Amino acid sequence: MPLARIWDAPVRLFHWLLVGLLAFSWWSGEQHEMEWHRRAGYVILALLIFRIYWGFFGGKTARFMQFVRGPRAAFAYVRSLAHGRHVATPGHNPIGGWSVLLMLATLAVMVVAGLFSVDIDGLESGPLADYVSFDQGRAAAAIHHVVFNLLLALVALHVLAILFYLVLLRHDLITPMIHGRRRTGAPDQGEDLGASAWKAALGLVIAAACTYAVAQGFRL
Amino acid sequence: MIASRAFKTLHAAALAAIVPALAMAATPAAAPSPQAAIAARQAGYKKMGAAMKALNEQLKSDAPAKAVMVNAARTIAVTAPDQPKLFPAGSGASAGVPTDALPAIWTDRATFDAKMASLIAESAKLLTVANGGDLAAIRAQAKATGATCSGCHRQFRADS
Repeated sequence: MPLARIWDAPVRLFHWLLVGLLAFSWWSGEQHEMEWHRRAGYVILALLIFRIYWGFFGGKTARFMQFVRGPRAAFAYVRSLAHGRHVATPGHNPIGGWSVLLMLATLAVMVVAGLFSVDIDGLESGPLADYVSFDQGRAAAAIHHVVFNLLLALVALHVLAILFYLVLLRHDLITPMIHGRRRTGAPDQGEDLGASAWKAALGLVIAAACTYAVAQGFRL
Repeated sequence: MIASRAFKTLHAAALAAIVPALAMAATPAAAPSPQAAIAARQAGYKKMGAAMKALNEQLKSDAPAKAVMVNAARTIAVTAPDQPKLFPAGSGASAGVPTDALPAIWTDRATFDAKMASLIAESAKLLTVANGGDLAAIRAQAKATGATCSGCHRQFRADS
């Protein structure tokens, strides 16, 4: 069966690095390995900045303009699913697009709260905690804590949705996220997603520079 | 003459301050209600946490301000000795107000009190070292004091 490209390499790398880093952050947070927890947070921050940049300058299916659809499109898509008329979307479907936005937004809240967090002993803190009081830092830590549960719920929903597609719709979403291609009925047009290597490199530099500045508490 | 008179009044003032304090120490103060004790100890811990944060920020900065570090160390050293009294029986979860204090505090009171004593000792040392102004020593002692916080929390505070 012919294959069509749907995910560019940066999108796939972002996805799987994030999976690993979320797991590592969870573990290091639970173990109070705060030096490692902070480092993981910095990498997640860099990934997040890169992904937002890539949402404007990335390959076709990575762009917000392509996958963020209005509520009408989202409802129409749900109706088509309910009637068993599932049509594969090249890229994120209208519901998946909102799921991506929601996960990115939750992750952003998570990271920002972490930057300002202080632990109960006043020993460990995020790189921006010296800009806030102890009480505000504790409030940030409380947000960091609560929002993590929300993030876990979203991840669970994400996995359930993928299982739903796999089992009930017999539509594999997992392997395309690994190799970037999807089996399609139509022959591959050799269509390019338009992801440019130099733009990806530029995004990486921007993400690294911003993250470095934040990690230094903007005292450069 | 003048100096000695001044000394006498100072002496009298000191006595006036100390005597009631001694009297108060001799007659047992009415035990605070569990709820009041919880509020008071939480306020105390908050003060110490904030001081620890302030101290650590100085230690991280390029030019640590001694005055800030001494202040922070004093806050911890002065607050710590009051804390052990603020854990009367019944001031755990049964008090009906939010508290992370674990039952082990009352079932293993000796260990808890020993940990409290080491906080008091380390924080007193911290104040001495902060006054001395040797950065490396302050850093080491801040770490030692912080370790008594987290060590005790691990055992006696719910990790919510």
